Amino acid sequence: MSRLAAELPAPTGAKPARAGRRRRNRQERLAYTILLPALGTVFVIVTIPFVLAVWQSITADDGTLIGLRNYARALSNPLFYDALRATGIYAIIVLPAEIFLGLAFALLVHRTVKRPGLRATLYVLAVLPLVVPPVAVGVVARLIYAPGYGVLNYFLQSAGLAHSEVEWLGVPVLAMGSVASVDIWQWTPFVYLVLFAGLQTVPRESIEAAQVDGATWWTQFIYIELHYLRPLFLLILFFRVADVLRVFDHVFILTGGGPGTSTQLLSLYMYRIEFKFFDGGQAAALAVLVLVSISILYSLVTRDLPLERA
Amino acid sequence: MQRITRREFVKRTAVTSAAFTSLPAILAACGTSTGTGSNKPSKLVIAAVQGVEDGPLKKVAPNYKSQTGIDIQIVELPYPQLFEKLVTTFQANGSSYDLCMMDDPWMPKFGTMNALQPLDSNFGFTRDSDIPTVVYDVGTWPPPHGPVPPSEKNKSQHLYGITIVGNVEMFMYRKDKSDAPKTWDEVLTNAAKYNAPNFYGYVIRGLATNPVSSDSLPILWSFGGNIFDDNWKVQLDSTASIDAVTFLTRSLKKYAQPGPQSTDAADRSKLMATGKAYQSTVWPGEITGIVEDPTVSQVKGKVAYIPIPQGASGKGLGMMGNWLLGIPRGSKNGSAAADFIKWMLKPENMRNYVAQGGIPIRKSILNDSSLASANPYFQALAQSFDAVPNWRPRTDQWNAVETIYGTQMNATIAGQIAPAAAMQKAAADIRALMKGANYPS
Repeated sequence: MSRLAAELPAPTGAKPARAGRRRRNRQERLAYTILLPALGTVFVIVTIPFVLAVWQSITADDGTLIGLRNYARALSNPLFYDALRATGIYAIIVLPAEIFLGLAFALLVHRTVKRPGLRATLYVLAVLPLVVPPVAVGVVARLIYAPGYGVLNYFLQSAGLAHSEVEWLGVPVLAMGSVASVDIWQWTPFVYLVLFAGLQTVPRESIEAAQVDGATWWTQFIYIELHYLRPLFLLILFFRVADVLRVFDHVFILTGGGPGTSTQLLSLYMYRIEFKFFDGGQAAALAVLVLVSISILYSLVTRDLPLERA
Repeated sequence: MQRITRREFVKRTAVTSAAFTSLPAILAACGTSTGTGSNKPSKLVIAAVQGVEDGPLKKVAPNYKSQTGIDIQIVELPYPQLFEKLVTTFQANGSSYDLCMMDDPWMPKFGTMNALQPLDSNFGFTRDSDIPTVVYDVGTWPPPHGPVPPSEKNKSQHLYGITIVGNVEMFMYRKDKSDAPKTWDEVLTNAAKYNAPNFYGYVIRGLATNPVSSDSLPILWSFGGNIFDDNWKVQLDSTASIDAVTFLTRSLKKYAQPGPQSTDAADRSKLMATGKAYQSTVWPGEITGIVEDPTVSQVKGKVAYIPIPQGASGKGLGMMGNWLLGIPRGSKNGSAAADFIKWMLKPENMRNYVAQGGIPIRKSILNDSSLASANPYFQALAQSFDAVPNWRPRTDQWNAVETIYGTQMNATIAGQIAPAAAMQKAAADIRALMKGANYPS
């Protein structure tokens, strides 16, 4: 069949329509068959545990249905709100800091580093923190902030910037800052990589035209580049909010949730409810509450995500 | 090249996927003996805690293979993950592990769950007079003394675990500077006397929950305080308990290192090993792993180890922190697993275990003067066993109790709350918890 014939609209008539539907049905069947292993895996590792969690959240230890009692207990526990507040503070510190630093670094490299070799080196360096296990990051951070032998205090005192030991992990405000700094170190490169990739998609002609018109670097960023980056900011928020809700390892190693409960984030709190208090019903109720909340948030965020364009 | 149809392609893909998916299960089935408990398996799988506790076990395991032909596979997990893994495995009655290492406070949880096979009735274990009675008691469920959880009162007692790491919390001080303190008052006096810039009179291990709980309980008990009395009545807000907590978090804290509320065991050992601290409580694992390790310690030979000093009660009460070996109920190799425990307990094998850094439980080894210079804490450990150290309350709610108590202790060390208020809060929360778990409140 010639190319022209292939591009012509199919003639109307019952026979060709049936043939097309048959072909489409065959293709759909093939597509579903190929997708089946993936969908099956998702069903086993996501759907079944979720259904079990929901079931656990509405039953007692002996399996009797107790309605929403576990949810009521979860919501009436003051420690839940402490954990929620600590998680909120943590997110307010890390998310803007990571986005601002990642953006600044992406713009800096995009505009000043032109050699491909150097860009590749920076790319590799940026990937490194992302592949380090969180436990290892926590252990190294402890060597930096630990009381008595922490490297940071040593340098501050050697440089004359501190006369006595700063209790980085012992004062609530500083402890929160310290655990947040670890997150910022590990995840700012992720923001940088995403935004740097986004900056590569900005059409060169638009930038050159703006420069001819006398656009400054700031107006160039605000009126052209930001337009291309906006969906990526949502994408970053999408992933980072999920990560913030999962933060566990380095907080556990650095402060154990202390002083008191000042750095007991939601994930650490849920861990303790499940594995210290062995209150599976309340832990499941908390997990479902978090999942529902985050699903609502994500459904709002995804409305503005450029899924089609991606 | 032969062409295949789309249908054939899909079919082959499905078959290949199924084969790959099944591969781990097939390999697992091939690698594990699935016979009855009396069959000789090719290997035994031990779930162990990662760290100084299982290091010597890993070193002696090859000897067992050379003597019996049975391979010992040690699956290491960090402390919290090991507990979670064991709980979930036991809940599913899984057969992944033939033996498991257990911290002694886990015994009530596992005992209540009926998670372990009895070593006495199933495998003929009897008490050996060379091993302290308390070592057998700590592996027995329901507990032979102290309060018994209401749900366990009608169960018959059995031995479920045998200690392979004879941890008991003790006390260490710089013997090159002073004599041994006999009481906590002397500890305080010495702390004040030797405290100096960059040299701390006392080290508090005050990190939230388990660390600060472990550090403070010997002081609490030695002052006559307690978490529960013999009827599960909460005692944390008693005068003796509050006095003990005030002593640690106010009096001793004056001479402690900066940031005690964020200090864990490794930090404490480092402070001692680098010559920056005078005294503290200590676990044997810290001694062998850091303080007496010549490759990292600047104070080797300058530190002495003694049982916990006496408090206001007139007693000095150490705390059990034994690591036991038990056989999960789901294990299909119970008999072979029991043989391995018996092999570990043989005097000659325990001596070899000690040579690899193991912490023994046999009195004859702990009191062997030929081993004293290489193991300067053995005598103190033997004395601690003789004094019968306390164990943490034998309740399946212990993890929750410890979390509540350890959080309030951490807050009061950080200065966020007064000692009395912290203990009143902890006592109220623990009462509510225990009431919910059907304990007498």
